[in-house]
Amino acid sequence: MRIVPNTAAGDPQTVFYHRCTIDLARGTIDIGDVPCRNLEEVLGGFGRSFQYLAARDVRDAFATENPMVVNTGLLTGSNVMTGLRTYFSAYSPLKVSNKGLPAAMWSAGSGKFGSKLKWAGLDELILENKADRPVIIVIRESDSGPQVELRPADHLLGKYCHEKILTLYAEFPNAHFAAIGPAGEHYEACYFAAIALSTENLLKTGDDKCRWAGRGGMGAVLGSKNVIGIVAEATDRLAKLTPETRALNKEIATGPGSRKFREKNRGGLGGTWANYEPLEQFHMVPQNNFRPTGDGTPALMFRDALEDDFVIKAESCYRCGINCHKNLYERKADGSKGAFRAKFDYEPLNLLSTNAGVHDPEEVWPLVALIDHLGMDSISCGTTINYVLDYNARHPDAPVFNGATFGDADKIRELIEQVGTGQLPELGQGSKRLSEQLGETDYAMHCKGLELPAYVPDTNPGYPWAIAGGHMSMATYMLVAMEGDTSLDYWVKAITERGLLVVRDDLLGLCKFAGLNAEAAARCLGDEIGLHVTREELLAAVKRAFIRALWLERKQGYERDDYTMPAQVFDRPNPAIKAEPFVTREFFAALSDRVWEVFDREIANLPPVEDEATS
Amino acid sequence: MSVRVRLPALFADRIEGISTVEVRATTVADALRALTDRHAELTTLVWRGDGALNPLMVLFLNDRQLARPGLDETVHPGDQLEIIPAIEGG
Repeated sequence: MRIVPNTAAGDPQTVFYHRCTIDLARGTIDIGDVPCRNLEEVLGGFGRSFQYLAARDVRDAFATENPMVVNTGLLTGSNVMTGLRTYFSAYSPLKVSNKGLPAAMWSAGSGKFGSKLKWAGLDELILENKADRPVIIVIRESDSGPQVELRPADHLLGKYCHEKILTLYAEFPNAHFAAIGPAGEHYEACYFAAIALSTENLLKTGDDKCRWAGRGGMGAVLGSKNVIGIVAEATDRLAKLTPETRALNKEIATGPGSRKFREKNRGGLGGTWANYEPLEQFHMVPQNNFRPTGDGTPALMFRDALEDDFVIKAESCYRCGINCHKNLYERKADGSKGAFRAKFDYEPLNLLSTNAGVHDPEEVWPLVALIDHLGMDSISCGTTINYVLDYNARHPDAPVFNGATFGDADKIRELIEQVGTGQLPELGQGSKRLSEQLGETDYAMHCKGLELPAYVPDTNPGYPWAIAGGHMSMATYMLVAMEGDTSLDYWVKAITERGLLVVRDDLLGLCKFAGLNAEAAARCLGDEIGLHVTREELLAAVKRAFIRALWLERKQGYERDDYTMPAQVFDRPNPAIKAEPFVTREFFAALSDRVWEVFDREIANLPPVEDEATS
Repeated sequence: MSVRVRLPALFADRIEGISTVEVRATTVADALRALTDRHAELTTLVWRGDGALNPLMVLFLNDRQLARPGLDETVHPGDQLEIIPAIEGG
């Protein structure tokens, strides 16, 4: 990034980012500076990549016309704690309009790859076309700028994600890595393939402790281009820590914003896993395909219930004091820590345990670990499998696949193994297409083709307006439990004014778990980067990026009917959930009218974006 | 001297980015009432309709988590009170 100190938000054209474009079919590599056209491009992430994607006409996510944009945020690789994000953006094989056109999508992951990419001298990597054989992309720093080359990747094929990364690490000991797993290699049969990103802990221990760009099938798109992995090799280039950033980092590591994700012995609440207890108060923990019963079984997965049998250790990506990873280890007879088992974050844990009817932790952890090994999004894979379990429970005489139903851990494991190795293409295409083929869409838990995370839709009519995953791009998933307000006015405001701003960190390069408020985020851009923006300017840019994403959905054929909920929410209110069943068809229709009244106006008022120029 | 109430982003982003509020109070309940009197936008986050503390909020006083509800706990000038939601995604 070339940024003049004390740049103001109104001068984006004075900021240049360093982009490498690889034509994988021709093997050509072009590197150059690109001037920013607006503040969203300066900030980075999907604020930039979606403007690139918008200029393309893509009708098939696996077509060569679909570029993949790998980029960072302005704070990636900076001294700001959690400034580690890498973004993978492309038209998604999973997120599709009812007209069958793929929608633009991004997926973000931490680890240290993004920082290394930036330190190697690149802010953005664009992958065009498709390589004619499996390749890795090697990016290395040099005195004359980043050096980029393609190398054969045949030796990596068939390996689990972390095995690929460890193999590459042996060749490139000063690098970090992005890699797909077997699922991404079988992209045509596994649309929810993810991209693994290496952590220091993974490289040091050899355990499968990747971080993930999981959502939207970005691993499938990378696989479709025959790119098996990306290597970013560079010397660590952290600048001298300023007093302002030191104070900010202390706030991130010890303040209220990250408390939820810290360990109890560090003044925290224990991580996302600890969502189980408060949600269970309201019978809102998804059970048996998002249908809580109130029978108390979620308590079997409370963290306290597992402490006797496992050692649970909080670990981190890189220089992060939050330590949000809750890693499960064998507890030896003497009580000490044994072999690594799996990471137990709330989403993969719930979707592969309580929501699949599996309540024995010894049966659960191998499922969580296997999804990671194979390189799949645990949300989309888990939720699609949960749909299959539900279908089979409803059709005991005519089940699909291996007949797995709730609680069949062995059969669920078999489904995971098969879908992750390309043997179950009907399942691997996700819950939207599968449910349409089976003719039972009511209980397929997706919005716009993207599977729901582990928060019941019965309490969240904001899901359809999420642009890149139900909870990470629309912060309305816990509001009913939190505030209990089910009025139309409240929900219009929650979606159109507050919920959409959760994507702020998907531009900046920060992790949402840092919990920075907008004022602090704007201030640190000035302190750390020299870009002076006000809170209001930052939020306006974030909002424009979000609205542009909605416009881009419309470009891909999305119409009002695409923005809806699983029909079960309307037609079979769940009496076990301790909240008013307010998401009726009438309520949702009225909400849609009001939300679109706002968003239509904002789409119409989006400032035009000029064609790109390079220098 | 007063009690400092520190707020997470969920709260701060509803009140123009204000992340700390100084209030005069002798109990945790007083401090939270003073907070919501000054910033009514936070009322539904802090309180339930019956006047009880929102069951999804967790309180920390000087870095010590308070047993629920914790509202009667005495506060002193210079104390630091935090209120954070028990649910956050990821």
